Formats: sequence, C-alpha cells, structure tokens
Amino acid sequence: MTEFKNAKLLVEKVSRRFPGVRGGAPVQALMPVDLSVAEKDFITILGPSGCGKSTLLRIVAGLDHPSEGRVLLDGRELKGPGRDRGMVFQSYTLFPWLTVAENIAFGLREKGMPEARRKEIVANYMQLVGLKGFENHWPKQLSGGMQQRTAIARALANDPEILLLDEPFGALDNQTRGLMQELLLGIWERERKTVLFVTHDIEEAIFMASRVIVMSARPGRIKSDVTVDLPHPRSYTIKTSPEFSEFKARLTEEIRVEAMQAAEAH
Amino acid sequence: MRPLHPVSREARAVLGVSFFVIFVAFWAWMTLGGYVSRVFLADPWSMLKDGWRLLVEDNFAFDIGITMWRVYGGFILAAIVAVPLGIAMGAWKPVEALLEPFVSFARYLPASAFIPLLILWAGVGEVEKLLVIFFGAVFQLILIIAFSVGNTRRDLVEAAYTLGATNNGIVKRVIVPANAPEIAETLRLVLGWAWTYVIVAELIGSSSGIGYMIINSQSRLATGQIIFGIIIIGLIGLVSDIGFKALNRWLFPWSLV
Repeated sequence: MTEFKNAKLLVEKVSRRFPGVRGGAPVQALMPVDLSVAEKDFITILGPSGCGKSTLLRIVAGLDHPSEGRVLLDGRELKGPGRDRGMVFQSYTLFPWLTVAENIAFGLREKGMPEARRKEIVANYMQLVGLKGFENHWPKQLSGGMQQRTAIARALANDPEILLLDEPFGALDNQTRGLMQELLLGIWERERKTVLFVTHDIEEAIFMASRVIVMSARPGRIKSDVTVDLPHPRSYTIKTSPEFSEFKARLTEEIRVEAMQAAEAH
Repeated sequence: MRPLHPVSREARAVLGVSFFVIFVAFWAWMTLGGYVSRVFLADPWSMLKDGWRLLVEDNFAFDIGITMWRVYGGFILAAIVAVPLGIAMGAWKPVEALLEPFVSFARYLPASAFIPLLILWAGVGEVEKLLVIFFGAVFQLILIIAFSVGNTRRDLVEAAYTLGATNNGIVKRVIVPANAPEIAETLRLVLGWAWTYVIVAELIGSSSGIGYMIINSQSRLATGQIIFGIIIIGLIGLVSDIGFKALNRWLFPWSLV
C-alpha cells in the first residue's frame, strides 16, 4: 500500500452509470476503477472508443461526477473542476474572442495575477510550444496543430498539479500528430508534470508513456497496466526499435480483443 | 450558375444598385405611361417634388427627427431591459424556468393592440409612443438572446472551469463575450421591427412624426407624400443598418475571421 500513500492522484472505486434514455435501462459506462498515479508520471489510458476512458478523465477533471467512488488529489477528495487539474480537449476549445496570448493568460487573469507577471509567463509558454510571433492572432487563424499547442500552453501556464489530455491530437493529421507527441514529451521531460493522457492510438500511448493503462470495452474496466521502461529522452526514432515493436505487438493484441467485443456489442 | 459560389465586391455593388434602378424605372413606366391612375399612385418625379415641399414648407425634418427619437428611445429602453434579462435566462436555468413561459406568452400579444390601453394609461404623448416600441421589442429580444446564450458552446465553458473560472467568471468571461456578436446581431434585427411599431403608434392619436404625415396625406390623396414618407423610413433603416453592421465588425473582429 506504500504506492497508494505516495500517490499524486488516487482513483478509488470510481464508476459511472448514465441514466437510461426514455425509460430505457441505465448504461454502465464505467465499472468500478482503481488507479493510482505517482507524481511526475506520464500515464496514457488506451482503449477502443466507447470504453469509458474519456468519462474517467472527465471525472478526474471534475466535469463529470462518479456514480460511486471518489478521486483524491494529494489526499484531498475532489469536488468539481479546478485550476489544479489543467485539461486539453479533443475539440478546439480556445476562446475565439481572445487572442492566442490572451487565451494562454486566461487562467492567470482569473487568478488575479498582475499583468506584468502574466506577460512574462505567457511569453515563456509561447516560446515553449513554438508559437512566438503569433501572440495577437485569433484562434481561427491558426491551424489545428497550432490551436492544440496553444491549448497545451494555456493549461500549463496555469501551473496545474496534473495535466489531463483527452485525445488532444485525435483530429490532427498523422505527421502533425507525430510532431505534437514529440513536443509534449519534450515538455514533460523538462518540466516533469504529472500527466494523464487518453488515446486510442497504440503508438501514441507507448511513445509518451511511462505507464499504459489498457481499458476494456464497455462497460469500461482497467484490463492491464503496462510499465513502459523505454529510456528518456525519447526521439521519434524509438518508434522503429525492437523494444517499441514488442510493446506495440502486445498492446495491439490486447486492444484487438476489446475492439472486437465493442464491435459486436454495437 | 454554380450554387453558393461567391460574387466579387464590384459585381455585388452593381447588382445591388441595379435592382433599385429597375424598380424605379418600372414604377416610372407604370405611372408616367398612364397605366396607373395618378390618384392612386404618384409618379417618381412628383413624389420627389412633394417630398421637397414637405421638407421646405412643412418642416418635415422635425417629424423625421421625432419618429427617430421614438424608435431609438423605445428600442434602447427595451435593450436595457432585455439584454441582462436574456443573458440571465440563458445562463441560469431556474430564471429561465420562471420567466420563459410568460415571455413566450407576452411575445404574442400584439403591441399595436395595446395602443388604446397605453393611451388610457399614458396619454397620447411621447411616453405612450416609447411604450409601444418598448413592448413591441422587449419580449422578442429577451427570447432570442436567452436562446443564443443557452446555446453557448459547452466545451468552452468546461475549458474555462478547468482553468479555474468561478461560476460568475463563467458568465462574465465566457458566456457574455461568446454571445456578444450574436446579441448585437439580434439587436440589429429587432431594431428593424421597431420601425413597424412606430408607424402604427403614429397612426393613432398622434400629431407629429412620419406616420402622422402619412395618415394625414391619405385624407388628401397625396400619394406622393405617402411614398416619400415610406422611402424616408426605408433610407433611415438602410443607413442605420449599415452603421450597425460596421459597429459590429469593429467591436467583434474575431467573429469574422
């Protein structure tokens, strides 16, 4: 139990049932899930669509509530969303009426931070995600990849205890996705934030993770918990290494069973 | 023609103006050609002469001014009430549950039918005219604004929560700015309807204004004056609409990119 004591984030018997539509039977989206995340861990949650992985992440974010169980961050039970858990969504959620710089400063302003300090932090994160020179652009003027980089900068600028990402690169093309993975991993290797990253992409899950949590098809459960001990810093070339392929083969097998079950259920 | 294919700026201007020309030419042909009796429809030329006489001899500029003051006065009052109320209804569901059924009901009460009652209450002065515009516009505004606020993108609200926004912060820094362009567009639209109400208000119990001039001209069969009055309303509407659009573009540059 020592691992649980030191956990940064602790998910305890969290389940989620959605009420039935028009008198139908309630839908069990998530079976009771236990998960312990150590500080500075990069965890990817891998599963086929409809396995409840996003539901789990939303519960951690406080945007949804568990039907049973609870979530603890640094030993405190979480009720509702808060600045201690930054989130990057799959859809583009930059505020369209704010410039890129103002978007990144949103949480800092909400906190009441003086402008001079805000500017400093924003400049730092603009640099970090490679968007220097785009401070005064409107979000709609940016490509999808740039918007998601801004969203990551916006979440990180708030200095959250844990960073939650819900398939943030899901809508991007393959090449851009690869670059974004490297960017995020690079940031993590430097800043060592605790990260919870949801994806259905096996390669993505292995490349960035120190631990991959595989979830089963609906109702969602944790099926396996794989430690990825590939060395850091990782470059994209690691994706073609034999070790990487081994992880990939193993996870592909596990996911395939789930995906087939999910396909049959629908 | 290819559907939905855009047209150049120049072509758009030329086409827009040319329909006015066609319209006036048809009108001139019908009247000057003798196909329609002058008693029922004045020709463009005598309409302009009548209009000039109205402006020079009858101080029609004053009537135009008083009508504009009624429209904008009543409309601004309606906006002052409707914008906060609409935002409140859209943002907080209990407020919506409380007010929405009543406002939906009140929206169908024709403002013009209230004119006799309003005259009883407020006399035939300016207060009555402003109230007609106010009641004509306020319920429509509330409902449309509440609807667009209620449709605020949920993912933006959620993103703001994860960035530490409070409930009040969500309203102030997400819901209001997200819907500001749509609210401005709603105001522009409903302002057009306010012009309909003002003429009705001026047809009954009034001694000034464009509507008063129009009803007054009818008894003298001065169709040139009537048409001139109607065209003046159209022109004011067009200019204020262009101004409103320009203002929205200037206020919300982000909504256009």
